[in-house]
Amino acid sequence: MRDVIVIGAGGGGPVVAKELAARGLDVLLLEAGPRHANPRREWTHYENDANNPLTGFFRFGPADRTKPAWFRETNQNSFLWQLSGVGGTTQHYYGNYPRAYPGVFQGYAGADRGAYDTEHVFPFTYKEMVPYFEWVEHTAPVQTAAMGTKEEIYFRGCETLGIPVQTTKDAKGFAYRPQENAILQPGGNAGRTSDRELLVYPKATGCTFCGFCFQGCMQPVNAPRNQFAKRSTDNSYVPMALTAEVWAKAGRPITLITDAFVNQVHYEEKHGTPTATGVTWRDTNTGELHREDATVVVMSAGCTENPRLWLNSELPNPNDWVGRGYTDHFFDWVLGTFDEYTGNSKGVGSSARCDFPGHGGLENVGLPPALEAFTLALSDSGVRGAYANGRGKTGNWDGPTGRPLGKELLDIMSHGIDRLLNVLVITDDDVEAQNRVVRSALPADRNGPVAKVEFHGRQRSARTLANREFMARKAAELLKGAGAKKIYRIDWAPLILHVQSSMRMGTSENNSVLDANGEARWVKRLFIADNSALSNGLGGPNPTLSNQALSTRTAEKIFRLYFGGDPWVGKEAPVVSTDHRISVRLGQLGL
Amino acid sequence: MTTHRQQLSRRAFLARAGVLGAAVAAGAIVPTVTGLPFAAGQTKAGLDPVIALLRPALQELARDTINGLTTFVVPGSDPYSQAQGVSTNGPGAIHARTPDFLMSALDNFVPLPNEYVRPVAAALATAVADDKIPLPGDLTRLLPLHLNTVDEALKKLLSTDETVPLSLVIAMTLNLVATQVNPASLHGVFVSPFARLSWAEKAQAMRMVEQTDADLVEALDVNLPQPLHQSLSGVLKFVGGALIEFSAYGSFTEYAVFDKQTKSLTAKPVGWTISRYDGIAEGWDEFKGYYQGRTKVEG
Repeated sequence: MRDVIVIGAGGGGPVVAKELAARGLDVLLLEAGPRHANPRREWTHYENDANNPLTGFFRFGPADRTKPAWFRETNQNSFLWQLSGVGGTTQHYYGNYPRAYPGVFQGYAGADRGAYDTEHVFPFTYKEMVPYFEWVEHTAPVQTAAMGTKEEIYFRGCETLGIPVQTTKDAKGFAYRPQENAILQPGGNAGRTSDRELLVYPKATGCTFCGFCFQGCMQPVNAPRNQFAKRSTDNSYVPMALTAEVWAKAGRPITLITDAFVNQVHYEEKHGTPTATGVTWRDTNTGELHREDATVVVMSAGCTENPRLWLNSELPNPNDWVGRGYTDHFFDWVLGTFDEYTGNSKGVGSSARCDFPGHGGLENVGLPPALEAFTLALSDSGVRGAYANGRGKTGNWDGPTGRPLGKELLDIMSHGIDRLLNVLVITDDDVEAQNRVVRSALPADRNGPVAKVEFHGRQRSARTLANREFMARKAAELLKGAGAKKIYRIDWAPLILHVQSSMRMGTSENNSVLDANGEARWVKRLFIADNSALSNGLGGPNPTLSNQALSTRTAEKIFRLYFGGDPWVGKEAPVVSTDHRISVRLGQLGL
Repeated sequence: MTTHRQQLSRRAFLARAGVLGAAVAAGAIVPTVTGLPFAAGQTKAGLDPVIALLRPALQELARDTINGLTTFVVPGSDPYSQAQGVSTNGPGAIHARTPDFLMSALDNFVPLPNEYVRPVAAALATAVADDKIPLPGDLTRLLPLHLNTVDEALKKLLSTDETVPLSLVIAMTLNLVATQVNPASLHGVFVSPFARLSWAEKAQAMRMVEQTDADLVEALDVNLPQPLHQSLSGVLKFVGGALIEFSAYGSFTEYAVFDKQTKSLTAKPVGWTISRYDGIAEGWDEFKGYYQGRTKVEG
């Protein structure tokens, strides 16, 4: 009998595990995918080796890469980019940690309050969230990003938009700024050389500008795991959870089991209320089933897998909102070609952004060649110059939207990967019940029916559609201001990452799964802590910080409700995840 | 009892999917000859030699079709690019071994359940097409017994216990669409009708796949059991996009020159050359300081 079982070691689960381990609870953290305990041995910087969704070491599948990935059904032109393994999708994220916009919280009284998804706000105030933002920002730690060439050019474009520079963490209006990133700033030789001998820790510390955020961070060479530059949870929260006894007064290290696919959450009626009691998981190597009970169960398996697990476990779903309201920031992609070096493939993946509260945001994204080509080839507008799928939108970019293929793809790529600048459009999209996860009718795998993700890309709310067009035009304006020679807008088909709110916390029991504590409305002792618990798309900002802040808050609620403890955020000082004691202990453990 | 009209429709279907052409090219059946290796109604064991010829022929059909697809996305100086009328003087998808990349992925790693792929393959094995599209001379000279032989062999091949190659299912689908776009693609160089299309015609075919042309889906859907037929058009929409995305992705990766044992490259990847990529390093001299000198902001 454990105190707490956490399902999933991605962006949210390790936060709950670490916080409760620091309080001395007995925590079991289960992860369906591999551990990746030794990146230098397991990883490379090669794009196919790393990122191929079918065969790469970052895929949604078992540790054994000779076996197929795990199938999920998507019945539309879209791409579902899931990851298994310790760290989950933070293994390939870019470390962006902007705060959510205040307008998506209850009680917001700004002049633009009508500009947000007011039907799906967080059930508490922004003011209440801020201490949790601060706690996570200190823990990660989050820092103001350094610039590379692509950021200098991006800012040159921003300076032509007629908006100010933001110099606070809170977004207060249209503005541009360096990212607040969970990436350690470059120290020593880092960012100043490509000579491997000079980039060995501690001669180099923090980010070396290698350009491989998407391939998983293992920089600098020979750094302790908790000193790797990018603060994905495999480098930050998981090492902390595994060493809780050395940095927390009452700390107790967690038990981490990987290659453990949870396929059942157990519950029973207690005092007339369904109450979670434990889980069953399958060892993905041996196929053996294991069962373990706990006082509290926390689902942190992500926006697609939480609904699947819930539905397969036959947990109550009286309002049919499990899996619904799946938001994806309705991304789009605008890029420009330049006659100068842009450093597109080098440096931090994304270190500059614009915020347009009420509409969304823009950020620069650097890419190596294969991901650039993939990005250019994902569109809902068909093939440029050939067919448009009823779209082919025109605007302040060159020609219609759509995939440049054949000669045009070669024209762009052969212009030079380091003479491109990409702008990602991150739309403030409404929570929409029609975008959702259901159980697929296709044959089940050995863990039961798989998830089917339904996205109705063209049928979104008028506000969402208008926001995307507004943002795409801003992106083209930025690129023009920066000096782009030719500007392409792709009209991306849904690229399903950045996903949020499929098990949302809400103000109304009619359209939410979780109450304001993060506990399931209809199952006691069952909590959800990851992007799926977020109430909405945050207004556009990247979800990791908000997920981790909310997960920290949820950990406090668990501790107070079921273990008789007191909250700690705002009362205690957080420990930074790069703390030397953690490095030493990891060394002793061979981690 | 199969009617003459059904037989003609079946012949048209097999021709348009590229199967008849591939079978002829491989010598599994020979038009216009009087002697047949096997008669209709033969024993299962008697079909085995035909299957032995047909199996590699279909693999070649799949490869040929995928060749034509990847050069649509990333053309180069190869014959497939030249045939489509959009080519370059340099390397493209063929040189980057993108067809191998795609076929390996489709046949070994796309985790579509076999229980799903098999009914789709079964639908392909029994579907008929309208016979309005004229067949080229050598295919019309096939006698009904020839047709039956290859038909029986195909059905047996697709209904054995082995995993059905997804690449073949996709290739047959693309070829059906190709012959709809341009009936003349039934005849010419290459094995696959899709590979015979011009670049603009390939685009037209991909448009039909993305929009799941009603006639095509109906032709494939008719034999699919519930609940699968509801899923077919959606899966085609996904596959249509994915084939293009992965042709682009694969062409610019290190796939063709990556040594799995040493985790290193044996040569410079084609995609790196095309995109003038500097390659990998532990870090770069790219640190330019902080915007307006600001290293920290407050709440």
